Amino acid sequence: MKSIPKLIRHFIATMLLSSVLILILNFTLLALFLSSQMPNSHPWQTADEVAGHLLWSESGYSLPENTALELKNSDIWAILIDDKTMQVVWKTDNLPGTVPTSYSASDIAGLTRGYIDDYPTFTGKAEAGLVVLGFPKDSFWKHMWPSWDYHLIAGLPNTILSVLAVNIALIFLIYVYTNSRLLRSVTPIVSGIQSLPTAQSIHIKEKGLLSELAVSINKTSEILQSQSRQLRKKETARANWIAGVSHDIRTPLSMVMGYAGQLESDRRIPEDGRIKAAVIVNQSGRIRNLVNDLNLASKLEYNMQPLHPEKQNLVAIVRQVVVDFINMDIDNRHPIEWTTDESLTVCIAEIDKDLIKRAVGNLIQNCMNHNEQGCHIFVRVMAEKQNCMVVVADDGVGISEEQIEKLNHSPHYMVCDENTWNQRHGLGLLIVRQIAAAHGGTAQIGRSPSGGFSVRIILPMPI
Amino acid sequence: MSLEYLKQKRILLVDDEQELLNLVVSILNEDGFWNIQTAKTAKEAIAISETYHPELAILDVMLPDGSGFGLMERLKSNSDYPVLFLTACGEDGDKFRGFGLGADDYMVKPFLPKELLFRIHAILRRSYKEENPLVRLSGSEIDFDRAEVVKNGEHLSLTAKEYEILSVLYRNAGRIVTIDALCEAAWGDNPFGYENSLMAHIRRIREKIEGNPSHPVSLITVKGLGYKLIVEGR
Repeated sequence: MKSIPKLIRHFIATMLLSSVLILILNFTLLALFLSSQMPNSHPWQTADEVAGHLLWSESGYSLPENTALELKNSDIWAILIDDKTMQVVWKTDNLPGTVPTSYSASDIAGLTRGYIDDYPTFTGKAEAGLVVLGFPKDSFWKHMWPSWDYHLIAGLPNTILSVLAVNIALIFLIYVYTNSRLLRSVTPIVSGIQSLPTAQSIHIKEKGLLSELAVSINKTSEILQSQSRQLRKKETARANWIAGVSHDIRTPLSMVMGYAGQLESDRRIPEDGRIKAAVIVNQSGRIRNLVNDLNLASKLEYNMQPLHPEKQNLVAIVRQVVVDFINMDIDNRHPIEWTTDESLTVCIAEIDKDLIKRAVGNLIQNCMNHNEQGCHIFVRVMAEKQNCMVVVADDGVGISEEQIEKLNHSPHYMVCDENTWNQRHGLGLLIVRQIAAAHGGTAQIGRSPSGGFSVRIILPMPI
Repeated sequence: MSLEYLKQKRILLVDDEQELLNLVVSILNEDGFWNIQTAKTAKEAIAISETYHPELAILDVMLPDGSGFGLMERLKSNSDYPVLFLTACGEDGDKFRGFGLGADDYMVKPFLPKELLFRIHAILRRSYKEENPLVRLSGSEIDFDRAEVVKNGEHLSLTAKEYEILSVLYRNAGRIVTIDALCEAAWGDNPFGYENSLMAHIRRIREKIEGNPSHPVSLITVKGLGYKLIVEGR
């Protein structure tokens, strides 16, 4: 489940990045907005300018032409209140009638701070009085009580920072909460998908955010299970069929072998007849081996051969196989030499005795089958690093590099799903390989030093 | 050494195939066994055994009216004698070991006459060895009853280990017996590291049985593999 922490990291990174981006975006928009408001933000300045431009002459106060025009165009009115008389001594033509013409000190304070008849007013000091500009209604919003506690302003940076921090923490919590809910529903789905290839039966609870996915996974698992059951059934049927055929062939073959064996050693029969009987005996023997091999190979292939591994002395087991062959090989056409080091008397491995005997027996039989004219067979057990090894070699006809390559790398017809007429070699080596594999080992085919055939079974020593 | 007394043994043969019965009877007759009764069902076999008192039973595993294992139990409950199974099931080796039923041996069909005869001889020798006469070697005789060797009129007694080793070699006379099988016979299961002790015992046995222990002719070493006992007249 390495993917979950990765997912969480990814979520948090995305969340932080999006928060920062939102902040940057907000500040940028604010700055743009404020800068667009800049031209309107100087009514006090305009009032001061008007006060400065106001001229005194014999005929009274007057404004230069262009300033007056500007005020008029902006729909701004203006008055001048005399310092001494507190009376309006000058006004623009567009002054509304509702604006008073005399003022008290409190009126002045009021209009400075706020409005006259809802017109936002701004003041500028002229030579002998106060210029008041009245902007159109609703053009400005004035702070009526524009005073702040000193500490509030002094602590503003800290306040902003803490508010920001609280905001981020809040966003983070919301994010974690929603994501953890999502993760809770994702986790079983992920583990379900991960265990699909292990061929186990899977059932995920079909609720939560991703219940539809869970349903699909459960269905997939069911399909896989039923497929593997079907396959297993077919394999069992095939292995049983092979076992049945090989069972049924044994009794008739007993008759053939038994009577041919009797004829072979019957002195009353002429020699050429006995030679023919001997051929029948030999060929029946081959059928017998084939039947045995076929049965075992199919059981090993479909994992139906029960394995009884025990810690055993491989040297003793192989020695017994060799002795059994020597005791049976009456004509001595295939003398077997035991070339195991005398110092090696014990090599313990976790093995099924009968299967290992079968494998070594197959190899020795193989040497005999491929060298009808006779050959020496060399059997050796070795202990090397963490392995026990059995080497069966001969000095017979041998095998080409190409054939070695083929035997080592192309599948046997029994376990191959293609038509491979060029690979019809015996089952003997396949069984040796299967037995080695069932013990966690391998079988390697090669050439012996004397140019013959050589097979090496390598079995791991128990730890 | 004479094996004639073994040929007198009463043998009960049970198989549902008449052809197979004929074959085995023919093989046994040719080898000199003549006291043979056959049965095709378990019921028949039990009936015969009550009057015939067999000394060896050769049984098929699958019979029309039951399994050979059950039949063996019935037969052995009356009188204990060796049983050899002849089976067409390739995997019966497992069953025998698993059930521990007390069969003396089993053979998987098909078989060669000489294989069958070898097993029968081995079982009979093992089961009825008290009837053994003296075992004649090239330079001496072994008397297993008295656990002694008679060489040049001199009686040399065998120790327990020497007796065990010689018994195994004699049962497999003319054939190689592995070092491991001999150690197992003398020291029990998983006998690792007894090779040197075995060699010492073999040397002492040779001193008792061989005319010239330095040049053994009866107890022969097969280098790296084991030993072979050569018995006269076999």
